[in-house]
Amino acid sequence: MELVGEEKKIQALFSELRLADQQAAPSFVGTWNRAQLRPRARVSPLGFSFAAAAFAVFVAVVALALWSNSRQQAAQPNHTVAVTPATPATPLVTPPATIVPTSKVISTAEQRQAARNLRAARFAARQRAELLAARRAEIRDATAISSWQSPTATLLSSQNDALLNSLPQLNESVKELKSFLPNK
Amino acid sequence: MDIAELKAELEQHHAACFGWALSCCARDRGEAEEVLQTAYLKILEGKARFRGEASLKTWLFAVIRKTAANEYRRNLLRKLRSAVSSEQVSERAGGEVDAAFDRSEEQVRFRLALQRLPARQREALHLVFYEDLSLREAADVMGVSIGSTRQHYERGKKRLREVLKRTEVDYGISWRGKENPGAV
Repeated sequence: MELVGEEKKIQALFSELRLADQQAAPSFVGTWNRAQLRPRARVSPLGFSFAAAAFAVFVAVVALALWSNSRQQAAQPNHTVAVTPATPATPLVTPPATIVPTSKVISTAEQRQAARNLRAARFAARQRAELLAARRAEIRDATAISSWQSPTATLLSSQNDALLNSLPQLNESVKELKSFLPNK
Repeated sequence: MDIAELKAELEQHHAACFGWALSCCARDRGEAEEVLQTAYLKILEGKARFRGEASLKTWLFAVIRKTAANEYRRNLLRKLRSAVSSEQVSERAGGEVDAAFDRSEEQVRFRLALQRLPARQREALHLVFYEDLSLREAADVMGVSIGSTRQHYERGKKRLREVLKRTEVDYGISWRGKENPGAV
């Protein structure tokens, strides 16, 4: 770069400044060694606070998940659902026992899977119970219908009920058939 | 380029790097050393990699400039936290100025005039006059376009001249105020 006029003067001043700086400059070896001795991983305050915030959020989410899981388990206590059929005609259906070990905490994923299995088993048991109840109702209704009698049925009964209820045989003789006819 | 080669190259440019670090740290020697160490550490750890896109000196200066900016921000936060008064800081800086540059009154005034320049203008002047870089190389270091660098350079010269005139610095040669046509 060609310098003219004022640039030359500025450069002269800068040259003097450079000379002074060079005399005051620390040795390269010293600077290099101090750089090597410095801690390698420097965490900036912003990065640290971000990490702390992320950790706090993570802890809060995990705590919330555990709390909601334990609350679900408390709301639905462990019990065995057994449905016994009323009649021999209906098949015996016994849903599997749904026992959830509350004391055993393995991991979040396994807990979720166990809760999912529990819900599925409960749903299946409920369906079976509803089906059984429907069948029982059908049988009860059928029984009631078959034994039903009209309130006026007694008015229709008479002494000749046997005659009215019986039919003549086709291969009987005329003489025998005459017995059905009234005597004149 | 392996670390041994890089170290040899760094040693060659060490004095210039220290001068540039001083300029980036407002002539604070301690801070400049700190910045230089951090820059070397970045290079050691591979956080700053030389890819051959520019000259090594240009790349090195860019690393130092960025490191100085980061250190400045960090120190600013630290100062705000510890509530160090600005008076104490200026007193300390003034003391260091007196200690380092008591050679000539002219140099002291020149330094003070430089500190009054905006950072970009001071950087452009330093890179061109102190480090003998072209405007294109200075633009690479500053991370701005060459047109912008030229503007900072021209305005910096003008302002420096005004400040020096105001402080009545005698250069021995009168200011002619000629432009520099070959400054690219």
